[in-house]
Amino acid sequence: MFILRFVVAPIIAILGAIFVGLIIMGIDRILAARMQSRVGPPLRQPFWDVKKLMIKENIIPENAISWLFNAAPVICLAVVSTILLYLPLAGFSPILAAHGDLIVVVYLLILPALAKVIGGFASGSPFASVGAQREMVMMMSYEFPLAIIAVSVAWLLSKVHPSLDAFSLQAIATHPVWGLVKGPLGIVGLILLLVSLLVVTPGELSVIPFDLPDAPTEIVGGVLAEYSGRNYALFYLASAVKLVVLPSLLIAIFFPYGISGLFNVGAAAAGVIDVVFFLVKLFVILFFSVTCVHVLAARLKIDQLVNTYFMAMTAVSLVGLVLIVLDAAI
Amino acid sequence: MIGSLLSNAGVWMPLAWLFVLVVTWAIVYYIRSRGEARYHKDTEQVRPFLAGHPETSKAAMHVRASNEYWGFMEALKGYYHPLIKGHTGNLNDYICWFICILAIVLVLVISVGV
Repeated sequence: MFILRFVVAPIIAILGAIFVGLIIMGIDRILAARMQSRVGPPLRQPFWDVKKLMIKENIIPENAISWLFNAAPVICLAVVSTILLYLPLAGFSPILAAHGDLIVVVYLLILPALAKVIGGFASGSPFASVGAQREMVMMMSYEFPLAIIAVSVAWLLSKVHPSLDAFSLQAIATHPVWGLVKGPLGIVGLILLLVSLLVVTPGELSVIPFDLPDAPTEIVGGVLAEYSGRNYALFYLASAVKLVVLPSLLIAIFFPYGISGLFNVGAAAAGVIDVVFFLVKLFVILFFSVTCVHVLAARLKIDQLVNTYFMAMTAVSLVGLVLIVLDAAI
Repeated sequence: MIGSLLSNAGVWMPLAWLFVLVVTWAIVYYIRSRGEARYHKDTEQVRPFLAGHPETSKAAMHVRASNEYWGFMEALKGYYHPLIKGHTGNLNDYICWFICILAIVLVLVISVGV
């Protein structure tokens, strides 16, 4: 059981997330291209990208702190993969449900960004340093609304089910938040929290309009300016895994429903139906919060980004929290 | 003995996370080892990319610590400027602030208590 939980499960999680993440990347690129009247790359293009990066030279700049420069992409991919083990995926309990909760996930989400910051500063390049500085500022900005969302959901769950562990993602997923509020105030509050998390998602993923740390046309790739070859491939794979992690968190909190109960099938078939439905939810969330947004919007300036997250989204989340509290009090 | 960190509402077992981190680290390291490790040292390719600009001193190429949070300070300058203005370096001013805040807190505490 120990080997299954702590060795086999992480291997399946990391390889599965890389595969699904790269497929999602391919779909995102095709859909974005179609919206811009382009044909776009084939679905397997992200796989070819990784393969090509792996056979390219792995250049370490002369100004870089080489061990930190090499360690950062490894840390980034390894850490982002561990987050998956705390999330309920496709109706299954989190593999490490008994060893961590929503607070741990919120903290762990900081680490991949920190790894990019370390890699950027270790590059010894001014473009990478500016990118790392932007990554840090962005991280500070979206953590506040993210923390408010976590606290709001946990407060709501603890109010209705005081005996439950309020921050447990398994408890949150098995008691959907929409059923915990009494009336329209609570529903509006939850919608505001959902909007806030949908806006935080592209920021965590560093996609347009929140791709300031990379900004290829402005700071030539920023944090990743000096990365090449296999090191760059690991950052690329970490981005793919993040594409699974963040929507999975959103699904666990707001849309944990399955549809296998509607069909009269066995346990194995029900599992397959729930996995397929989970992937559909994943695609839908990414389509609206990432694909549409990066096609329609232009890159924000750093002060606009801070204002969006630290001021606007924090205010939206706080209003959501207040409405939920009022809904419970009335 | 190291066990789970438990509060009234949260739980975390750092050892469990560290263990799976070691496993994922090993997988990632294996993936990395499958890639090309070689490059041409002591050639132009190891020089930092500066978009055609000449490289000045190494120290001047880095973002200074005082500029680390520039975007944050710029966006929230409406909040930071009055705070910076208030830091006069005069001890009398700080004590004055302390007494004023203490008075406000006392009024709040007493009014809530009543």
